[in-house]
Amino acid sequence: MTTTEAPRGATDELDLKRNGVIDSDVHPNFVNGIRDLMPYMSETWKTRLGISGDDWAKGMAAAQFTLPLDYLYINPAGAYRADAAQPGVPPATDPVFTAKQLLDPHHVYRAVLLSGQCLGIGAMPDGMVAATIASAYNEWMTERWLQEDKRFRGALVVAPQDPEAAVAEIDRVAGRDGVVAVFMPLGQILMGEKHYWPIYEACARHELPLVTHPSGTENVFAKAPQMAGTPTFYLEWHTALGQIHQSNTLSMICHGVFEKFPKLKHVIAEGGFMWALEVMWKLDRDWKGLRNEVPWLTRPPSEYLLDHVRFTTQPFVEPHDPRHLAPLMEMMHAERVLMYSSDYPHWDFDNPDRALQGLTPELRRRIQVETPREVYGDRLD
Amino acid sequence: MTETTTGPDLVQKEDAVHPKGTPHVVCRVDELPPGDRKIVEIDGRSIGVLNVDGRYHALMNTCPHHGAPLCEGVVKGTMADTAPHEYSYGRHNEFITCPWHGYEFRLDTGRALVKTERARVRVYTVVVDGDDVVLYV
Repeated sequence: MTTTEAPRGATDELDLKRNGVIDSDVHPNFVNGIRDLMPYMSETWKTRLGISGDDWAKGMAAAQFTLPLDYLYINPAGAYRADAAQPGVPPATDPVFTAKQLLDPHHVYRAVLLSGQCLGIGAMPDGMVAATIASAYNEWMTERWLQEDKRFRGALVVAPQDPEAAVAEIDRVAGRDGVVAVFMPLGQILMGEKHYWPIYEACARHELPLVTHPSGTENVFAKAPQMAGTPTFYLEWHTALGQIHQSNTLSMICHGVFEKFPKLKHVIAEGGFMWALEVMWKLDRDWKGLRNEVPWLTRPPSEYLLDHVRFTTQPFVEPHDPRHLAPLMEMMHAERVLMYSSDYPHWDFDNPDRALQGLTPELRRRIQVETPREVYGDRLD
Repeated sequence: MTETTTGPDLVQKEDAVHPKGTPHVVCRVDELPPGDRKIVEIDGRSIGVLNVDGRYHALMNTCPHHGAPLCEGVVKGTMADTAPHEYSYGRHNEFITCPWHGYEFRLDTGRALVKTERARVRVYTVVVDGDDVVLYV
């Protein structure tokens, strides 16, 4: 800890615990793709995935699995913070360097690791493959990151295609030191459907928040979450990703997921949040006339969102007129629903000391310290 | 979250015995059989008088939400509060549904089914006096 660089003057561990920032979206990366997971897979599965050895066809289609991501869109900004890479070391592959670049200077108390390059495994056609990768990732994350620096906390990854395997994985890993959430990569089926309910039951039972995030596969793969049409450009695609989170939030509320699982919390990471305003207002208005369709909703639908859904802040809103920020935060109930995130090491990183500068100190504290504490609970300490 | 008390308000019982307002004959009893309704205009106010299974109701014919002709809406029951993915229809014919946005109001009290909807429809006393249906406004 380099205290001279700490913006809020952290002086000791206790101060860091009380006032340090909690970052809810940091992506640890593999150096060599799925091959980094080889030590955590059985020979059988390495053979099944075609990653057991040097194969002449390893770069060719169908010779091995590749983790599905947005390879068809080209980000001209490079997808990563340029300074997050060191010579020969790709961004966020080294926990020591990551701590030095992200945690120390920004007075970060805890950083929650989300999924690395497993964001898109929900699009894989074979749920058994996705479940195997998720389990191996959880071992890798534990050994490589959680045991390296306790400031790193992790979301255990599950395969959404196979709820039974997902529940078994939650039960297997939930009790581990450093695990603070369940990360569910998104797939084609909307999140209110009964398909997922066993996963929600397990999250609620272990009191682990469920975290989702753009999968990076939207409209690139057939079993990925579907947008309205396939955008041409990265800029267009990246901005449209909020569609997925709107649809999933509506689906969960309308199916009564939060009536069925009153302890469930859903954290939407990097999914935007201002869209939730219109969703809340329109849901409440239409519900008055359409309640007969969803009679299990015993409260105005917006109340489920405010009680159960939390949003990470990055990329934070930048209204054209900065004076509009305060009323937006008030309308959004920001003090209840927002949780700070940096999205390190990606190109659109939000600096914890700068991104929320337009907000009052009280609101910043709610977003960076208190609300995340309420969501993750004692597992943070 | 739905309005679950049943039966007319006490004040309405009192009204039925000693109705307030000025009596207006709407029609003869046999002109308003069960299932029928009449929209009448009294002192510039449009009021719906309904015979629902032998019970008479009268409500202001204006939805407090967006001003729709409420009393032209469907009379029906509603879905009970149930567990997710379960349905249970009941309270048949206790509600009138706005023909525009589908808001449901209790025929006897004018209260919205959804408790958070504060708007309430004005209701009037309607009685049978001899062969006449009489509305008090």
